[in-house]
Parts: sequence; C-alpha cells; structure tokens
Amino acid sequence: MAHWSTFEKETEKETKKLIRSISKIEDEEDQNFQSALKFTWSNFKFHRYLDVDSHKVQRSISGIYEKLMVHSDLSKAGSWMRLTEEFLNSPLPNTHETKTDAHYSVLSLLLFLSDSPSNTNFTERLWAKETEPEDNFDWAKYLMEGEDIDAGPYPDTPEWSEEESEDDDSQQPISREDSGIQLDRTPQEDQDSSNKTVPVAWTVGEPDARAWLEQHVVTPYWATHASRFPHSLHLHSNLLNVWDQHLYNTDPLYLPEEKAFVSETQVIRETLWLLSGVKKLFIFQHHDGKVSVRNDVVVTHLTSNCLLSVLEHVSVYGQAVFRLQRFIDEVTGHSSEPGPPGSGSCSRKGSEPPFRTYQAFVWALNKYFTGFKEELTTIEKEIISNDETVTLSAVLERLSSHLAQIKVLHKVFCTGVAEVPPATPNVVRASHLLNTLYKAIIEYDSVGEASEQTVALLFSLWTETVRPYLEIVDEWIVHGHLFDPAKEFIIQRNKDVPVNHRDFWYATYTLYSVSEMVDNEEKLNDAASGSSGGDQSSSNRQLTMVSFLKPVLKQIIMAGKSMQLLKNLDWKEAESSETSSRDAERKSLYTLFLESVQSRLCSQEGSPANTVSEQQATARSLVKMQSIMAQHLEIDDVHDPLLAINFARLYLEQSDFHERFSGGDFIVDRSSQSITCQTFELTLRSCLYPHIERRYIECCGNLMKTLKKDYMLLEYLQAMRNHFLLEAGDTMYDFYTAIFDKVQEKESWQQPSFLNMQLQEAVGQRYPEDSSRLSVFLENIDPSRKKHPVNNLDALTLSYKVPWPVDIVISSECQKIYNQVFLLLLQIKWAKYSLDTLRFSDFTDIAEKLEGSLGEEVKPKEPSNQQIHRMCLLRVKLMHFVNSLHNYIMTRILHSTGLEFQHQVQEAKDLDQLIKIHYRYLATIHDRCLLREKVSFVKEAIMKVLNLVLIFSDRWQAGFGAWKIESIDKVESDFKNCHMFLVTILNKAVCRGSFPHLESLALSLMAGFEQC
Amino acid sequence: MASAANANLNAVRETMDVLLEISRLLNTGLDMESLSICVRLCEQGINPEALSAVIKELRRASESFKASENCTN
Repeated sequence: MAHWSTFEKETEKETKKLIRSISKIEDEEDQNFQSALKFTWSNFKFHRYLDVDSHKVQRSISGIYEKLMVHSDLSKAGSWMRLTEEFLNSPLPNTHETKTDAHYSVLSLLLFLSDSPSNTNFTERLWAKETEPEDNFDWAKYLMEGEDIDAGPYPDTPEWSEEESEDDDSQQPISREDSGIQLDRTPQEDQDSSNKTVPVAWTVGEPDARAWLEQHVVTPYWATHASRFPHSLHLHSNLLNVWDQHLYNTDPLYLPEEKAFVSETQVIRETLWLLSGVKKLFIFQHHDGKVSVRNDVVVTHLTSNCLLSVLEHVSVYGQAVFRLQRFIDEVTGHSSEPGPPGSGSCSRKGSEPPFRTYQAFVWALNKYFTGFKEELTTIEKEIISNDETVTLSAVLERLSSHLAQIKVLHKVFCTGVAEVPPATPNVVRASHLLNTLYKAIIEYDSVGEASEQTVALLFSLWTETVRPYLEIVDEWIVHGHLFDPAKEFIIQRNKDVPVNHRDFWYATYTLYSVSEMVDNEEKLNDAASGSSGGDQSSSNRQLTMVSFLKPVLKQIIMAGKSMQLLKNLDWKEAESSETSSRDAERKSLYTLFLESVQSRLCSQEGSPANTVSEQQATARSLVKMQSIMAQHLEIDDVHDPLLAINFARLYLEQSDFHERFSGGDFIVDRSSQSITCQTFELTLRSCLYPHIERRYIECCGNLMKTLKKDYMLLEYLQAMRNHFLLEAGDTMYDFYTAIFDKVQEKESWQQPSFLNMQLQEAVGQRYPEDSSRLSVFLENIDPSRKKHPVNNLDALTLSYKVPWPVDIVISSECQKIYNQVFLLLLQIKWAKYSLDTLRFSDFTDIAEKLEGSLGEEVKPKEPSNQQIHRMCLLRVKLMHFVNSLHNYIMTRILHSTGLEFQHQVQEAKDLDQLIKIHYRYLATIHDRCLLREKVSFVKEAIMKVLNLVLIFSDRWQAGFGAWKIESIDKVESDFKNCHMFLVTILNKAVCRGSFPHLESLALSLMAGFEQC
Repeated sequence: MASAANANLNAVRETMDVLLEISRLLNTGLDMESLSICVRLCEQGINPEALSAVIKELRRASESFKASENCTN
C-alpha cells in the first residue's frame, strides 16, 4: 500500500470514521469492520456512477419544494428553499467557492439518503436558536391592568397603545416595579450585558405567542392603511366581502373604495367613548360642534350602509352629549376653548356674579352624567374582561333608557337654554329655563306610566334647578333681603327707593314677567301685582312668569316686602336674640321643600318606618319568592332549593336596587317619584306652597302686629274718621260753627290763620296729639264754578300729616277722598246749621212792625201773614230734607260702614290687604255719599236743595221786607222739583234693590214729600 | 490572519448547521459527525451515489448484525 497517496490515506481515514460512526464498531480489527471497510472501498473505487449533475440536483430541490407545497407544508417548503439556497452560497470546509460540485454532491448525497421528507415533523431549529426562550408573560393582561408609565430603566420599551389609554382609564402604561420585564432576560444577555441599561429586546419569536398578542392587543386601526386584523373566514363574518362581490358582479361601474376595517368591539368602545364625551375619535368625527360618522369605516360582518345607519343613530346622541357637556363646561368655566358667541359665556366675565340658576341646572346635569358615565364604564369593563359577548346592538339596547333620557335632556336644553338669544337678561333666561322644565314635566307627566323615568329625571333636574330661586325667596322672606346679584329673580329691587319712603310699598320692586310666546320682556310695576291691580291683566300673565311660583307669587311678594319693612321698622320682638340663634338651626325653604317631597314620596310608598320590620318584610318576601321560584323550577323538573333561593334573592335585589339608587343628602328617591309626578302640581301644592304660605302668614302677621301695636295704625285710622268724617262731632262742631257764624255775619272767613286757629282750638282740647298734625288750607278754586253759596266751602281742605310707615296705608290719595267726603259733610252741616239758627222771633217782630206801620193797608197784611206762614212751612220742609240727608249720611252710611271697616281691619292678614280694605272703605263711603261721577245728577239735585236752603236762610235773616212773594214761590217750586226728582230717582233705585242703603233716605224723603 | 481563519471557521460551522437542517428536513438520519465525514468524503471526490449506497448498506448490515446479536443473546 506504499503507493497510496496522502489523498487516499485521507479518504481511508474518513471512510473508517464513517464506518465507525454508522455501524458503531469501534474496533478496527473486528471482522465486521474489515468487511465493511472492504465493501466500502470496493464501492468507492470500483463501482461506476454517473457524476453529479448540478441541474439534476437543482431539479430535485425544486421537486421537493413543489411536493411540500402540494402537501401545504408552507413553512417546510419555505425553510427548504431558504436552507438549500443558503447552503449553496456557503463555503465548505475545504472549498471556499460556492455552488461547486462538492456542494451539489453533498446535496445529492442527502437527496439519496432522504426518506420521505414530507412525512417528517420538521421545525426549523436554526432560527429558533437565535430567539429568546418562549415568553410566557401575559402581556395583554399586563397592559390592561395599567399603571403609570415610567420608562426609566427601559427607555426603549415600546409605547403601547397610546391613543387607547388616553381614553380608557383602565389601560395605562408600564411601570418600573413591574417584575415581569425581568422574565424576558436570557442567561446569555445577563452574561454579556456589562451595561445594565441595555434594553430588553422585546421580540416575540414564537408564532403562537405572536398570534396570541395579535389577538389581545389593539391594532392601530386609526392609523391609515393599517393592516387588517385576522378574522374568521366564515361566511357570516364576511358579509361585507360577499356584498362587495355581489355589487362588483352586478354593477359594471362599481368601484370598490378604500375602507378602514375595524372590529365590532372597537366600534362599541368608540361608541362608549363618544357617549362619555370624548372628542378625538376615529369613527366619529367632530366638526364645529357636530358629530358625524366616517363613511369609510367598515366591519367585516355588516355592509357599510347598515353600519353607517346604526352609527348615525348613535352620533345624534353623541352630539347631544357633546352639546350638554360643552354647556356644562361653559358654566363651570372649564372650557378651554372659547364657546360660540351665541352661548353667552363670552360676555360673562369673572367680575360678574355667577348666574346661579344655570349653575344649579348644570350641577343637576352633571349629576346625571356621572351616573351615565358610570354605566358606560361598567359596559366597557365588561368588554375588556371579555367574559361574555358584547354586541353593538346589545349595548345600544342596554343604554336605550339612558339615550332616551339624554334625548329629553337635550330637548329641554335646546328650548330652555340654547334657543335663548344671547342678549337676553338673566331673569328671562332663568325663568325661561324653569318654565321649560316645568312644562316638560307636565307634558311628560300627562303621558302617564310610559314616561315615568323621564318625569323622574326631569323632576330631579327641576328640583335642583329651582334651588337658587327658592334660596332667593327664602332669603327674602326670612331676612327681608332680596339677594340676587345676577339679577335672575323675577322680582328686582329698585335701588333708588329707600325703605322709609312712602312709595316703598309700591315702587320698590319690579316684577319682570316674561312672555313665553314672544320672549320679550315687559316690566310690570309692582303696584300692578300689589294692592289695586292684583287681578288685572290676568290673561296676559298666564303666559308669563315662572309658572310654578305663580300661585304663591303674591304671598312671596307680600312676605318679602313685609319682612323688609319689618327689618327697617327696628322691629323689636321680645325674643329677637332667640330668633337669631334659632336662625342657624332654621331649615331653609329649599330644605323644607325637599324634606316634604321626600316625606310625601315615602308616605305614598308606604314603606315601613323601622328597619326591623323592614328586615322582616324582606325575609318574608324572600320566603315567598323562594316558594314561587321553587314552583317554577319544578315545572321544569328541577329540584334545587339553593337555586330557588338564589333566584329569589336576585329578584329581591333588583327591586331594592332602585331604592338604593340615590346620591347626595337630599336626592329624591327616583323610583317613587314616578308616583308623585303623576300629580306634579299637586306635589308642589303640598310640598312647596305650604312653607311659603306659613312664612307669609308669619311675616305679615308680625308686620300687622307691629304696625297696629307700635305704630298705632288703628289710632290713625280713627283720627282720620274723627276729623274728616266728623265722628268726633263735638270737636269738629266747634270748628265749623265758627266758620258758619262768620259766614252768617258776612265776615270774611277765608283766612288760613283764622281757620287754623279755630281748628287748633277745637282739636287741641280733646285730641292734643292730633292738633299738631292737622291743618287747614285753602285751595284756589276755579272762579267759574263759584256760582252758588254752597260752593263757598269748596276751597276748604283739611290735611293730616301721617307719619311713616302709616302713610303707606293712609296715602295722600286717601286724604283726597276723605276731603271730598269732609266737604260734603261740611256743606250739609252748614245747611243744617243755617236752618237751625233761624228764629221765629225774627218774623214776629217784623209782623208786629208791619201791622203797626201798614195798619190801614189791609191788603198786604193778609199776604204777609200768609207769607210768614209759608216761609215757616218751607223752613220745616227744608229742615226735614236736610235732617234726613244728614241722618242718612252720618248714621246709615258713615257709622255703619265705619264699623264694618273696623272689623275688617282687625282681620286683615297682610299690609296689602289692609291697604285694599282701606281703599275699599273709602270707595264705599265715597260712593254712598253720592259723590260718584255716575250719580252726579243726584248730587247736583242735593246741592241745589242745599243751595236753596242757604239762600232761604239768607233771605230769612235779611228780613221780611227783602222778600217778594214770587221769590218764595220760586224757592218752593224749586225745592218741590228737586225733592220730587230725588224721591223718584231714589225710589227707582230702591225698587231695583241694587242700593239697599238708600232705602232709609228714600223713605224719609218720601215721607217729607207726601206731607207737602 | 487568525481572525480570517476564525471567520472562515465560523462560516463553515454555519454551513454545517444549514446542512444539518437540510439533512433533518430530508430525514436522512445523519448526525453532525457522520454528516461532516460525508462532506469531507464528497469533497475528496467520492461519488455521492456510491457513498449513499455504502451508508445504506452499512446501516442495513449493522442493523441485521445487531438483530442477530440480539437473537443469539
């Protein structure tokens, strides 16, 4: 074997190795080994084989690839192609070139040796080696849990789903404390990483892990041209494709559009986010306050039109939520962006006082939205936990009641707030909002059970919104201070009228009534709503004002004004210190209102008062439910008492749920509201009005007491009657007789000094306190009117200085009426006085004289006696007339009406009523004294008679000689005419029965007439 | 020079890894050792067909030998 070359030696060595390796025979001397070696050598050296053909090998490689593809062993086929390619391009131990014959011969060897490659379980080990060990950390769960991000030691940690976590509280980035990261470290990395901050290469190599991650982490569908997520190939989940295909086949012009694919879960979550007020969304887009749906968003299992119609339905609610949310932000001042000019927030600067009604409304809205968002979050959590199937329609169904409520809220908001023009004053805004709510409640209330929830919602909204108003009212009627900085209350204080002014009662407050129809504002002076005009313009007012306060508005105004007046009267109640201390414990009107509402609700529910009985009831009902459930289960052949109990408990809990559903201290129980809201106005009547009423009675009672006791109101009224209506007969007699005497003596009496002196003298004796207040002055009288002697007195005017606050009741207008009556009385008194003072002795003297001087003239004697007789008769007739009139007025009218008035004054509840009574009293006496314009002809007739009386007495006193028989005739006939006229008129009136008080006058006059 | 040789060595090792994968994929039943022997033999010009025949025969023989040995035992 010496001729063997080194080449052959090498080959032999390798051959031996091969034999050893394959046959596992270590001993070269073994016979078997030797025979094997021989066999091998002979094969190598002496058998003839074709040389390796690279093309043939290449063909085999492709053949195997094809075979693998046919067997759909895609991964194997890929590996195969890649490996062979790589091998051919790699150097061999002793061959540095690539794709040499050696390469092909090695490959062909392997191909010869190959044993059905398609049947082997091959996974490429080469690549697996380079990757991390399998990552069994639950990344999705990890990401869902959420904690604050802290990129600290791992700055390269990929930022996960940033967009998502900004909307979703439950998904937050990674924290440092997370030990999970450490699991990813391979030993190798630990060894060579001298630098500790070397990032963990977060790669997931294992295909199943990758697939798992793809399922659990949200793909960035919002990014344009995002890769499509994997989904089932089932027909049902590919409706869109099927439909597209159909369109493509039927319509030659159909052009498939670029669509963004999302999953239904993503749609649901975006819907939830939209409803919770998130603005930056992918599916829903905001354009100037309007929400629209992207039309290129599709899900695979619905046609795009179908999805679009569902989402548009949602977007309407989204927009409503958005608008309400913006309003809330505007009022609370959270808005980062300036609102549109129409919203009114721009005009409201920080210096302006807050508009409390809107604030309260917003607070109520906010409360509702908190609950709503809780519900949304619950749904979203359910989606995240992935325990059950959540579909878009199921979510919408679940939210349907909420959505309906949002619709109602939005409607109320639109009519109550949004549609109000920007320049509207606050009072109109506030009352408009309250009216809208009120009307909405009544409107939905009338629907009955169908809208129970809505009414409950609106009612709670209303009770919140009305709070500022009630607080203003409370402040006003309790402390007499109308605190309304934002000018939102329907009643405003006129700043320029001080309290201690006589106009206070009328002019202090302006009532703003808002006409709902035209939304324009009109001012009604408070006087209109006060004493005289309380009933006027009622048709107009029905449209106006805050409706719920309308029934008690008068009481509120009365109580408020009374309270303010009382405060200014330095009203010293004995227990004033106690009241102030009590004030702290005092419940505000609003609290009282809520309490009564609650108690009303509770009483209607008939819930047991104590908890023990409640528990018993619960237990009893549990037993009852259990038996019912057991029966039901038995029908289905199920005998499971535990199941029955659990079912029963479930039902009970559900029924309890509503009762527990109440928030703050005074949140009205919603479930029970439905009962009461059916009679919403009744609720108000029983819960709100009594409190106001009570307060009103208290306030006004106090005021009346104070006015009567401390300010001697009654005494002043009495003084007016004493002096103006001559009730203090003796005193005034002294005064007017002095004047009449002067007139009779033809002296000038029209001197203020003389008149005042007479008055002071007369009054000072008996009413010293009034003497300083009373004064007389003469008015300038139109000379044309001064025709008759009776009118001489017209200029006389009595004046009484009434101190504040009594002048609220006894105003100057009242004094005018008093003066008119006073004048009439004075005229009657004058006539009566002038008749009374005539003496028969005057005549007897004259008669004697006449007899003496004119003895021979027999002719005129007869007529003179006759004349005297006639005059005496006439005098008696006139006296009868005047006395009848005097009696009628002094007793029948003034006295009885005065008694009536005193009685009414005692019973007057508030100042306004008192003023009204006083006015009515004055009007009555004015009327009954025949001073009214309408019956001026009667008065004229009377005046004529009085005038005749004065002329007659004048003539009488002038002496007999001055008289002509004709003039007596004229007086007689005039009197007769007037008398007859009056008797006819009065009889007619009495017969009609409309003036019963005239009866006595008519009768007495008639009696006098018949005697004629 | 050493680094070049080292690089070459690495390259060859990689080649062998690839080859082993191919071998596994083809289910040849060769391990790393026998594979490298085969590569060297092929490089020396041994006809792969002959080599594969030898390997198959040797396997068969060794198996029958083992079986007979088992039987005698």
